[in-house]
Amino acid sequence: MTTYVIRRLIQALPILLGIAVISFIIVHVAPGSPIDKFRTPRVSEEQLQNLYRMYGLDKSLPEQFWSWVTSFIQVWNTDSQGHHIAWGYSFSNGRPVLDLIMERIPATLLLMGLSLFTTVVIAVPIGVLAAVRQYSVEDKVITTFATIGYAVPSYWLGLMLVYTFAISLNLFPLYGIHTLGKEDPVDLAWHLVLPVASLTIQQVAGWSRYMRSSMLEVMRQDYIRTARAKGLSSRSVITRHALRNALIPIITLLGLTIPSLLAGAIITETIFTWPGLGYLGYMGVVDRDYPLVLAFVMVGGAMVILGNLIADILYAVVDPRIKY
Amino acid sequence: MDSTVNSGLDHAAQAEVDEVDLIPVRTYWQMARRRFLGNRLAVAALIMLIVLILLAVVVPTVTGLQYRTTSLDRPYGGAEMSAPLGYNDIGQNNFLRLMKALQTSLFIGFAAVSIIFAVGVSVGAIAGYFGGWVDNLLMRIVDIVLSLPSLFLILMLVAFFGGGNVWVIVFAIGLTSWTTAARLVRATFLSLREADYVQAARALGASRFRIITRHMLPGALAPILVACTLGVADSVVTEAALSFLGFGISPPDASLGNMMSGAIDFMVRQPMLIVYPGITLILIVLSASFLGDGLRDALDPRQRVEG
Repeated sequence: MTTYVIRRLIQALPILLGIAVISFIIVHVAPGSPIDKFRTPRVSEEQLQNLYRMYGLDKSLPEQFWSWVTSFIQVWNTDSQGHHIAWGYSFSNGRPVLDLIMERIPATLLLMGLSLFTTVVIAVPIGVLAAVRQYSVEDKVITTFATIGYAVPSYWLGLMLVYTFAISLNLFPLYGIHTLGKEDPVDLAWHLVLPVASLTIQQVAGWSRYMRSSMLEVMRQDYIRTARAKGLSSRSVITRHALRNALIPIITLLGLTIPSLLAGAIITETIFTWPGLGYLGYMGVVDRDYPLVLAFVMVGGAMVILGNLIADILYAVVDPRIKY
Repeated sequence: MDSTVNSGLDHAAQAEVDEVDLIPVRTYWQMARRRFLGNRLAVAALIMLIVLILLAVVVPTVTGLQYRTTSLDRPYGGAEMSAPLGYNDIGQNNFLRLMKALQTSLFIGFAAVSIIFAVGVSVGAIAGYFGGWVDNLLMRIVDIVLSLPSLFLILMLVAFFGGGNVWVIVFAIGLTSWTTAARLVRATFLSLREADYVQAARALGASRFRIITRHMLPGALAPILVACTLGVADSVVTEAALSFLGFGISPPDASLGNMMSGAIDFMVRQPMLIVYPGITLILIVLSASFLGDGLRDALDPRQRVEG
């Protein structure tokens, strides 16, 4: 297992390098130059040329790429004040990019973790219910909900929730993570409700569909018939025999949803002005903050690769038939 | 060759063969059509999609640039004959804007899928047909594209290379979403490469291009068609997200996403202005995904999945 993980991590390196090349090329081919924002009537052409050299923009592209990649890897580098300098400084506020990203991770993890948790807690039971009572009224209601829910874009749902619960009923706050000057857990929980709900509803739709089909697949197996034939109660057959096996493909989904969670984070955090990674990345694109954008693509790519690896590892952990 | 076989049969057997021939033989596509038409949900989805496409083509063509016309007399105006959905904050006709937005979204959806189809099929066919290092190289590229945070990359491309340009959006979506199609085609090609009829075509001296396009590609058509139908839905949703975030189509042009984001500021006054584009988007996605499911069941009954 350890050798498998190490091999997979080594295989991930060329992929990360490929992502680095693609994002580097996009940023460099994009019209406009990073020093354009300094171009004001009070700045002389000579000063601009100095800046151009200072940022290393006079070097060839491969040289620039090399210096970016080598400094990017040295995440442990800090300046005299303990700031992480490896990923460069944000164009928009001059702060070290790595520090900015690290600051935003907890808020995103909280939002994503909580919505993933609620998703699983809701989707697994209703998926099982729909499968166990296939073609019943419950099944039809759940399947219809799942199909429509899957088609509803999360940002639209977020807006509808905001209109209904924040504007009309005035139950929950419109946006943000804290009421100013009030930073207790109750206030935080209050702010979490709408963003978590808008992420969860769509995820539940997808997951309950997977859960239902996985459960149906298992219920057809011979060992379920055997379990029934030897006189086990229906409850025991479902929970002890069927559910445990039906969960195997669902567990691997955990790792594979990371890309969609990341995409969801960008949109949901922007709607709710949630101070997480997604909103940071969105602002990076708005401000054309190249160092931040490059770092965001690399972090995003690493998360996708890691998610796939976690999915494969979990697969082996929960299913003893799988060996690496 | 037929005559030598026939001459070996006696007359009774010959008559039997003729009788067997009388039973109507259905081709693959005829059978698929029958299966599809038997699926009420899929047929309904197809009709819905055709209605949406007709609306998107006819209404903006007839009314031209009227969707941009503002009117100081009618901000937040109510519904009337020529404007069944009322007017927005600057007195533009909501119905005409919605139809134009539908046109923009569907156009981007279908154009992006054409790119997905072209790139995906080419990469998949070349990788699957040639195998070896070509396959290896192309599949590593697929791995890289799959590992990119795609929505963020699309945002980047659209924001940096001229937002508001429809073609930039089409290419940004197309160039990040072709991997599924490529994998499907490659898988089919790998299994067909050594098939007897392909070997036969090769032995008869057919060119590589002919073997790929005329003999092997039809075998991969069913899964690609399904993937493309679902791709339309995904592309439409992505475009709406882009415009919603302010990077895609911007006013005075209309798109489902910018109608929603434009309506946020007037949410208290006119909440329905967020509902209309949302419902339209959901209708597109629902009809495309039901159509995709129906096509899969009709074209490839073995792959039928529960749920």
